[in-house]
Amino acid sequence: MDGLNRLIVKVGRSVGGVVGILFQSGRDSVDTVIRNVIPFMAFISFIIGLILTTGIGDFIANGIKGSASSIGGLLLISLVCSIPLLSPLLGPGAVIAQIVGTLLGVEIGKGNIPPQFALPALFAINPQVGCDFIPVGLALGDAEPETVEIGVPAVLFSRLVTGPLSVVIAYFASFGLYSTTK
Amino acid sequence: MFIHGFAAFVAEVTVDKPTGLLGSLATGAEDFIAVFNKGGSVLLSLMGGILPTLVVLLTAVNALVRLIGPEKIENLGKAAARPGLQWYPVRYIILPFAAVFMLTNPMAYTMGRFLPERFKPAFYDSAVSFVHPTLGIFPHVNPGELFVYLGIATGIQQLGLGLGDLAVRYLLVGIVVIFIRGVLTEIITSKMMSRAEKKGA
Repeated sequence: MDGLNRLIVKVGRSVGGVVGILFQSGRDSVDTVIRNVIPFMAFISFIIGLILTTGIGDFIANGIKGSASSIGGLLLISLVCSIPLLSPLLGPGAVIAQIVGTLLGVEIGKGNIPPQFALPALFAINPQVGCDFIPVGLALGDAEPETVEIGVPAVLFSRLVTGPLSVVIAYFASFGLYSTTK
Repeated sequence: MFIHGFAAFVAEVTVDKPTGLLGSLATGAEDFIAVFNKGGSVLLSLMGGILPTLVVLLTAVNALVRLIGPEKIENLGKAAARPGLQWYPVRYIILPFAAVFMLTNPMAYTMGRFLPERFKPAFYDSAVSFVHPTLGIFPHVNPGELFVYLGIATGIQQLGLGLGDLAVRYLLVGIVVIFIRGVLTEIITSKMMSRAEKKGA
């Protein structure tokens, strides 16, 4: 009887633990969505509304159509984004990458940019990822001040090569993506 | 209801398009509100389409991470600190993947503490470059920056094409890119460190 009792208590406890974890996870995810995701959706929706209803859309379309629908143009975008002086300025919150991504998404949706360019474009708009955050990121990894001093330029200069390189890799990886069979 | 019916009744009477100063003001007002009407419908489609899936997915993955326990990957961090060619993929593919998946942005970078100083910038470069390519499949790693992926993905969706192919390729290319970034940044870091040592000596 004692053994049965203990078993029931054990089962009850572990079930309670799992339910608690699930509930806490749900609370965390709803919290994240309300604090981080929905505000950005609101902001992006406004920009999309502005692009679609005003003439700005056509203006931007003409500007980026040429550069975003050829590998050379995408390389140019990635090269600009990975310039060591610019990349830390473009980085914060990935706001620039998110806005440019949305602009490109609108143009892809309208058919101005072929869909297979989505993959290289994802890398072209983002060689500056984390460039604003290097000292903090290194500090989180308990790096010495000397490491931070060297690490910041090391990462920034490395991006100048790996930024455009990632676009090239993505371009070759995009063969066969959304290809239309004629 | 009443107003709606009334409007339908009035609509039978045709009115000339307003002209003159007042007319242009009226057109301006309509254009102005059209921007926000369009934005509102975009917001609704985003919230109706993606958000419910995202909440459920975030909950499931958060629970999984909690059940496994983020401290489990510490051993991996210690393994990745070893020198030698065979530990490069561990350091710049497996460790960033595990750290980003389990700890998410920005806590993933704390895994750098298991590595010697000369690997830390390269690991950071590798890990931070991985918080976006994962978004197509594991949006929990960085939900605040979802639109880096989602902005372009929305366009693909509008064309009626599937996102699976794009998401998988984004992840795979991301893995290749973080490895290259890790290796290259490590080389640059060690060159700069030895130069700094020479200057200091």
